[in-house]
Amino acid sequence: MDETVAEFIKRTILKIPMSQMTTILKAWEFLSENQLQTVNFRQRKESVVQHLVELCEEKHASLNDAALLDIICEDVDPFDMKQFKSSFKKVLQRALKNVTVSFRDTEENAVWIRIAWGTQYTKPNQYKPTYVVYYSQTPYAFTSLSTLKSNIPLLGQALKIASKHQEIVKMDLRSRYLDSLKAIVFKQYNQNFETHNPTTPLQERSVGLHVNMDSRIIHENAMEKERVQRITQETFGDYPQPQIEFAQYKLETKFKNGSILAEREEPLRCLIKFSSPHLLEALKSLAPAGIADAPLSPLLTCIPNKKMNYFKIRDK
Amino acid sequence: MDSYDAPQSTPRQSASSRPENCFIGATPLQKRLESVRKQTPFVPTPPRRKIPQCSQLQEDVDPQKVAFLLHKQWTLYSLTPLYKFSYTHLKEYSRLLSAFIVAEKQKGLAVEVGEDFNIKVIFSTLLGMKGTQKDSEAFLVQILSKSQLPSENREGKVLWTGWFCCIFGDSLLETVSEDFTCLPLFLANGAESNTAIIGTWFEKTFDCNFSPLAINAFNLSWMAAMWTACKMDRYMAATEFLWSVPCSPQSLDISYAIHPEDAKALWDSVHKTPGEVTQEEVDLFMDCLYSHFHRHFKIHLSATRLVRVSTSVASAHTDGRIKILCHKYLIGVLAYLTELAIFQIE
Repeated sequence: MDETVAEFIKRTILKIPMSQMTTILKAWEFLSENQLQTVNFRQRKESVVQHLVELCEEKHASLNDAALLDIICEDVDPFDMKQFKSSFKKVLQRALKNVTVSFRDTEENAVWIRIAWGTQYTKPNQYKPTYVVYYSQTPYAFTSLSTLKSNIPLLGQALKIASKHQEIVKMDLRSRYLDSLKAIVFKQYNQNFETHNPTTPLQERSVGLHVNMDSRIIHENAMEKERVQRITQETFGDYPQPQIEFAQYKLETKFKNGSILAEREEPLRCLIKFSSPHLLEALKSLAPAGIADAPLSPLLTCIPNKKMNYFKIRDK
Repeated sequence: MDSYDAPQSTPRQSASSRPENCFIGATPLQKRLESVRKQTPFVPTPPRRKIPQCSQLQEDVDPQKVAFLLHKQWTLYSLTPLYKFSYTHLKEYSRLLSAFIVAEKQKGLAVEVGEDFNIKVIFSTLLGMKGTQKDSEAFLVQILSKSQLPSENREGKVLWTGWFCCIFGDSLLETVSEDFTCLPLFLANGAESNTAIIGTWFEKTFDCNFSPLAINAFNLSWMAAMWTACKMDRYMAATEFLWSVPCSPQSLDISYAIHPEDAKALWDSVHKTPGEVTQEEVDLFMDCLYSHFHRHFKIHLSATRLVRVSTSVASAHTDGRIKILCHKYLIGVLAYLTELAIFQIE
């Protein structure tokens, strides 16, 4: 075994806390059961490490093996899908005697969970299941809740415990399209944006500006139109927007318009809902159509960045 | 707001019998139209004043009797005057219409699976549903399913309801002869197929014409302002507007709901003339809503299409659908609708 490899292995093992030593070495699967049994883990750490390095030498550990050990040390508590599933199921079954839980693994390290809810006394209702999609390598889960409100905290609890997280928080982001939610949450929506050439002149890429054959005809406000196009494009980009159907704003802001309601301290309480089959595309078309100013309000354009489509706005 | 009292205070009442002068009580739109018809130059007059339609129902009406008119969605039509309609023949009309409906349905013109042909038609008058004594008496037509058991439930389930009324319809009354009965506003609730059959019978029998009554954004704004102006003891619902944005390729709807107390406060701040609502005030009220919205979202609502308004008094949709929620202002709401119906007929 190379000197450098030996040194590397020694330092890597030294970093491992004693409490996790056997777990990690077992997970590494490089040293055999027999070999590990010969090690006295109650000695001083230095002695243990020395012994282990000797064992590695006996087996001619390579740099690859050492690197693998390093990875295992980093990912000490690797996500165990089987354990997640059994833990999740247990939490629900302990709380509600009657519940049907099914799992389906998909690629991207995601698991689809289907839950049919019952109560202590009634059988699970198979016609109103809840679906959860959990991406194990991320702290996000997507749920479609078609169940009693009382089951929701229990679902949150099960997810939290099974995934070994401290806390679960409901995001203000809702849509009918799972792919769009994923796009927003995982910031995938500009993946198509590969061939953008910033030096392409605006005219070639813009929508709605006609090429004039007769040079005597000019657009009166061509400059303003170009400005609007440019700003819209900067805000929304060239790529297709993630698809969400609505955004809701609860406003509690003071009315400001000259003398009207000037003495009133209280804000106006408003609830504003935008809805569209494809909200972000519709919003994108507003400024070029002259219905909105450019730049559009950040309250609207922040939806993908903030991963929210439910807002509460108050005066500062 | 003041309850409606002396007729003298209404500009409409002071109109002479000449048809031209019946437009003194007209909205600015009507005035413009009138001047176009006469080919006179349109001289902008001061903003037309309209008395807010917040009158009480007349004393002899039992609120319980009209309760069934509230909280129902009605589809609106304008109706030209009925020729030789008689209030003494209501029983006969019931019989004739009943036979007509059964005949039409057996013809297969209106096919609904599992339909019960045991129906009964009832004509009845709606007392007190008028603005002035000159208005024709309102009447109601109902289709009920005849119960199979003669003993219990004599009155079957109501399948369809339609009612005809005229509230402050002076301008129309003055243009027709005595053979005609003016009930320009028709409201229907129930299956579209029934509405069509009944409409056909009336058209044949009384030589009249039904026309769906759409409500444009201009009138929806007026309604929103007037209903917000009405004094309420308790608010049942938020004041809500719905706009449809003409953008492509995707449609966009914007719903803007404001707490009813805040809407009232905004209106009170805008409102200057006691007992009246002016065009200026309506425009300013709407502008305030637009500017508050624009401040937050940078979108010009005025460039979009107002499609629906809803308040604690009533709600109206541009397609000509209405729901009246407050019995106190029932007459007021109907008066505005009557005006729209008359405008459509003329």
